[in-house]
Amino acid sequence: MLHEFEFRAPRTRAELLGVLADHGGLAKLMAGGTDVIVNLRAGGIKPRVVVDVKQVEGYGALTWSDTDGLVIRPATTINDLLRMPGLRERFPLLVACAHDLASYQIRNRATVIGNIVNASPCADMAPALLCLDARAVIASQAGEHEVPMREFITGVKRTVLLPGEVLDRVVVPASSVGARGGYAKLKRISGHDLGLVAVAVHKHGGELRVAVGSAAPTPVLVSGLKETDDAATVVAAAQAAISPISDLRCTKEYREHMVGVYIRRLLREVA
Amino acid sequence: MMRITVTVNGQVYERDVPGHRTLLHFLRQDLGLTGSKEGCGAGECGACTVLLDGHSVNACLVLAPEVDGRCVETVEGQAKDGKLSTIQDAFNRNHAVQCGFCTSGMVMSVQDLLVRTPKPSDDDIKEAIEGNFCRCTGYLQIIEAVRDASGRTEGKGGLKHA
Ligand SMILES: Cc1cc2nc3c(=O)[nH]c(=O)nc-3n(C[C@H](O)[C@H](O)[C@H](O)COP(=O)(O)OP(=O)(O)OC[C@H]3O[C@@H](n4cnc5c(N)ncnc54)[C@H](O)[C@@H]3O)c2cc1C
Ligand code: FES
Ligand code: FES
Repeated sequence: MLHEFEFRAPRTRAELLGVLADHGGLAKLMAGGTDVIVNLRAGGIKPRVVVDVKQVEGYGALTWSDTDGLVIRPATTINDLLRMPGLRERFPLLVACAHDLASYQIRNRATVIGNIVNASPCADMAPALLCLDARAVIASQAGEHEVPMREFITGVKRTVLLPGEVLDRVVVPASSVGARGGYAKLKRISGHDLGLVAVAVHKHGGELRVAVGSAAPTPVLVSGLKETDDAATVVAAAQAAISPISDLRCTKEYREHMVGVYIRRLLREVA
Repeated sequence: MMRITVTVNGQVYERDVPGHRTLLHFLRQDLGLTGSKEGCGAGECGACTVLLDGHSVNACLVLAPEVDGRCVETVEGQAKDGKLSTIQDAFNRNHAVQCGFCTSGMVMSVQDLLVRTPKPSDDDIKEAIEGNFCRCTGYLQIIEAVRDASGRTEGKGGLKHA
């Protein structure tokens, strides 16, 4: 049983922003619900109103153009992304991360934007979106503004979003096409599981980037390295940027070690 | 309360539901369709898997008001006129059922798979059922049943791991 709340499914963005403005902190946005419903059930959140974003006109569109890049909107599920023709050729890292997120039926519901706003240190879409210079476009009744993905997540389950705001779209710029990348995620079981630690390696135009999940309060991006840097330099830079903890799933030392192992492996694999 | 109209296994139902009702509880308690099981209630086990507009989803992580105007398929829609579906029959023949708790969810994940990919590879099969836990069979018989249902072991009659 979930505690009682009112369910709203606005049809337009104006209506959505109006509902949020009316209810302030008592409204909870929901996309695929794979984090929200789990939290509702556990009693972690007790909203008065749950607001489904998926019916909003235009929020189901997933579009690509040479000028605007890839535009991901609030109803785009992980499997919608994986089914998009041509995506693997343009953004192999995005596909690799998406494919590692949860199970097939969760991917039919889980959205890209929900994954980012949930802001878990192990969010699988974050490493790709950080490496690919994605931008978050935030909307409220006051208008729209844009935040680079690297500034969007501010802490464990915390983002720059304020009450009354919605993440209207995430844009992956066309300038990131041509980047090569790979993703490795350490799990307790070979099936679907949250990552104990995860590493993305991204190479583009001579620059090398590494993004690490589950090794700090937020997913970490290390940029400004060079494709010609040797593995030891890259591993040292990544290990200096992370601050892993020991928890019931594994130790800090194991996480640190595996970050090195995965970076070396991916540097070889991502030619 | 909200009035919803939903098609379940081809039959149209109109019901009043509170906002916080999950699709799983709606099916089991309001419609009496108890084939879909509640294992974890939190998206982990897949025992509640149903098809929503043809896509497999965890019914425990869908709210009933969300399915207004949409189509749901559950394991109750598999057998027709007292005859098991191809998938159910393959599960039966290949000993892919022990306690049966996972089976209704498994069957629905496999239904989604075979509509998308009529001739799945073993990797396709494993991906399709990665969100369905089975604590009894060890999965091998289930994978064989899916091969059988897709015609890959025609004539063998299953039973390799039985
Ligand atoms: C069994 C299971 C396994 C999982 N495995 C993984 C995994 O391997 N990797 C992983 O990264 N995650 C995993 N998850 C977590 C979850 O599935 C993902 O984070 C998913 O992408 C969340 O998307 P959603 O659409 O379901 O979000 P929701 O649950 O609907 O929302 C998540 C958060 O985002 C907010 N929100 C949603 N849309 C908007 C918007 N447009 N604007 C502002 N705020 C918004 C919500 O208020 C909420 O805070 C798992 C979850 C389950 C239940
Ligand atoms: S009951 Fe829904 S996934 Fe376990
Ligand atoms: S048959 Fe018992 S859980 Fe699968």
